[in-house]
Amino acid sequence: MPALRLVNLTKRFGKTVAVQDVSLEIRDGEIMTLLGPSGCGKTTTLRCIAGLLSPDEGDIYLDDRRVTDLPPEKRGIGLVFQNYALWPHMTIYENLAFGLRLRKIPKDEIQRKVSEVLATVRLSGFEQRYPRQLSGGQQQRVALARALVIEPSVLLLDEPLSNLDAQLREEMRFEIRELQRKFGITTVYVTHDQAEALVLSDRITVLHGGKITQVGTPKDIYNRPSNKFVAGFIGLTSFIEGTVVGFDETRGYAIVKTSDGLEVQARSTGLHSQQKVTLAVRPEHIELLPGSQGLSRAGEVNVFEGVVLRMAYLGDTIDYRVRVGDWVLRAHTSTNMVLNHDEKVWVVLSPDQITVIPE
Amino acid sequence: MSKSRLLTRAGEAVLLIVLCLIIFGPMTGLALWSIALRWYWPHALPQVIGPDYWLQALGLQKSLAIGAVSIMGAFKTSLIIALISVVLVMAVAIPAGYVLAKYSIPWKSAILLLFLLPQAFPQQPVFVNLLLLFNKLGLAGTVPGVILVHLIVGLVFAVWISSATFKSIPPELEEAARSVGASRVTAFFRVTLPLAAPGLLASAVFVFLTSLDEFTGTFFIGLPFVTTLPMLLYSSSGYNLQFASVIAIILLVPSILFMVIIERFLKAEYIGGMGI
Repeated sequence: MPALRLVNLTKRFGKTVAVQDVSLEIRDGEIMTLLGPSGCGKTTTLRCIAGLLSPDEGDIYLDDRRVTDLPPEKRGIGLVFQNYALWPHMTIYENLAFGLRLRKIPKDEIQRKVSEVLATVRLSGFEQRYPRQLSGGQQQRVALARALVIEPSVLLLDEPLSNLDAQLREEMRFEIRELQRKFGITTVYVTHDQAEALVLSDRITVLHGGKITQVGTPKDIYNRPSNKFVAGFIGLTSFIEGTVVGFDETRGYAIVKTSDGLEVQARSTGLHSQQKVTLAVRPEHIELLPGSQGLSRAGEVNVFEGVVLRMAYLGDTIDYRVRVGDWVLRAHTSTNMVLNHDEKVWVVLSPDQITVIPE
Repeated sequence: MSKSRLLTRAGEAVLLIVLCLIIFGPMTGLALWSIALRWYWPHALPQVIGPDYWLQALGLQKSLAIGAVSIMGAFKTSLIIALISVVLVMAVAIPAGYVLAKYSIPWKSAILLLFLLPQAFPQQPVFVNLLLLFNKLGLAGTVPGVILVHLIVGLVFAVWISSATFKSIPPELEEAARSVGASRVTAFFRVTLPLAAPGLLASAVFVFLTSLDEFTGTFFIGLPFVTTLPMLLYSSSGYNLQFASVIAIILLVPSILFMVIIERFLKAEYIGGMGI
């Protein structure tokens, strides 16, 4: 039974459709990320789940209970915001106790629960401080604790790490993941940061223009993007477009011919002849060979001649842009592989590591 | 202490003295005038001083010789009008400001403009017109009539300030309260209102002081039956500078008192946490 279910959710703001016909099932205890660029409808979806917005069409079910028309305070959903949204006029203790007091829980039990949850976010002893006396990371941990202390059935996080600096953000990813595991709480996590989504999620829902474009595990989404948008949004990807002109039956490869006459072989997944396809390749799956080395392999399958357009030293790798025919491919190589601007280079693509996206 | 630091200190001291002179200098004149019984040119200080005008103004002495009357009646009228004005203005300004800040309501700018409209025209024609209307309604020359005029003046600022105050509070604070189980009303009273308190208090003080000082409207609508402190001040300022000084000082007291209150509240602990 899914813990949270969205059915044909649609939300409009005036004439713009922010969320369009979104149906999604979030399993009990999983962490589902809504990922997409700004304006993709992820935050609107989250606010509909929280009850802060009411959808124009569709329904929301929590544990099979229809909550579409319930106000936020009756849903029992924990919320964490990008700007922490701690109440500045209350101490940390009062921030955490607020929701418990509204539930008329006895005082000693409130005290026990608050100190327990503060311990899990490693902030014991901060009870009497005010939010502004805490660092951004600590404030966000308090915000998490405040959402968890009411023991919600679902936890919603809206870009919770966006206000933190890069290093802290990376640590907090794991911390959130651990907390979520510890509490076993069904979580919906909204972010535009694909690295965050890949690290944190059990599953990822990629949204684009208010619609779901793909739902899958981080591995699925990264390795088998189902469309060009997902391939381009998650990680770096180079695209080559062409038409299927034949098959290498023994190895299971399709032969794709581009408009500029390149023939690229890629693993076929139910393709048919004359089908228009887009080939997506990750930079780490493109091998570059300098002139002398490459020349011996010229003419082999998926070995192409190219020219270095641009290089950027990234510290651990070098980021190259290489022109092959009409296409610009991005490749990451080790730092001992130094090629110069305008230098001739051989590009090797492994047929098994090319993702074929049918048009 | 090094020489340069000594110089800085000295500079600061001089600046402070100059500032004090600028701020309190004119008031010293007022204080001197309020106790001057005889002060002729070219004397730098009054020749004869005494508390007679103060006693007279406060109603503790009833002498016909120095041409001053008790101001206590007018002071009471002024205070009552100002306090009622504050309560009524805030009763409108708090909900109006909240709604204007939080919800996208149709004709929002038109409504805000409507509040501004009375200030957009010269005051005298507006008040003369109002007098004609109030005469028909039987409000001319009454305390309720004067209060109504003060409402018109006070509402503009109060609605604008409270709307700006509510707008400065991140909506997530209220939403977070809702998510942990607070109803709309609870969230407002426990989260938004306490955070807006300093701004609302400032606008209440502003309304209070404006009402206390208001002259033009009270002159047209209130006289001759409703006499407030500014009425007395204006009518005596021409011929009795001592008495006018006493009234001026009395008018200053609430202002200074409220400045202290504002300053205390605006420095309250949680303001520092607002910059999220």
